[in-house]
Amino acid sequence: MKTLTVIFLFVLAEVIGNTCLSGGMKQVASAGFADGTLSLGLILHALATPLIWVGILLLLAYFALFAAALSWADLSFVLPASAFKYILNVAFAGWFLGEPISTGRWAGTVLICVGVLLVVKTAGEKSGAGEPEITGSVGEGGRS
Amino acid sequence: MKTILMMLLIVVSNAAGDVFISSGMKQIGEVSTLNPRALLRIALRVLTCRDFILGIGCLSVSFFSFLVVLAWADMSFVVPATALVYVVSILGARVFLKEHVSALRWAGTLLVCLGVALICRD
Repeated sequence: MKTLTVIFLFVLAEVIGNTCLSGGMKQVASAGFADGTLSLGLILHALATPLIWVGILLLLAYFALFAAALSWADLSFVLPASAFKYILNVAFAGWFLGEPISTGRWAGTVLICVGVLLVVKTAGEKSGAGEPEITGSVGEGGRS
Repeated sequence: MKTILMMLLIVVSNAAGDVFISSGMKQIGEVSTLNPRALLRIALRVLTCRDFILGIGCLSVSFFSFLVVLAWADMSFVVPATALVYVVSILGARVFLKEHVSALRWAGTLLVCLGVALICRD
């Protein structure tokens, strides 16, 4: 239960953080950096945008919670249990950033979630980056 | 093309960062206290752990690449596309570590690829 609560909190922090970063970078892009140029000016401009800092703080919170969860739970449980974050990210992009989300993009996101669940659920078979053993019921968080 | 290269950079540095952080936190042990002084001691141990610092370095690279891509692409494309990290780590396990990859894992990897292909088309 402790693990699932922490997973829910860090997913929420990550999704809101990403939304802030994306909103901030859209502001930066509209200030003349939209053409795909990769420059130091782009980074400096981003770091002068308040919304970026809100995003960074939230991602630091996400990171602290994620690292704490990994101190007692296995990566191979934490990763699949947080697979639902992709859907939440796309939903927030639509709700708060006004990005048009086509049916194709929704379908792709759902496929990615299912794929991630399958990949990490089988992490006990000695492959992947995570710890070899799986603790707890994998996928429980994926349906929330 | 530039977006694809940046996505690869995000994904590879993220995968490496996750592994280092996980290994570092396993060395630190379970964080089960809310006592500020104990938390400070843990924080000091964390910040002097070699694997943890390597992990932070990798995740920083990943973060700044992510930030840059967000300036020219939609979040509803960039975030799901970062799931390619699973494909990269499986290919890495198969090619470099010669690990056995089960049919179910290949199926999951294929689904992630199909999903990313779908979100790329829109």
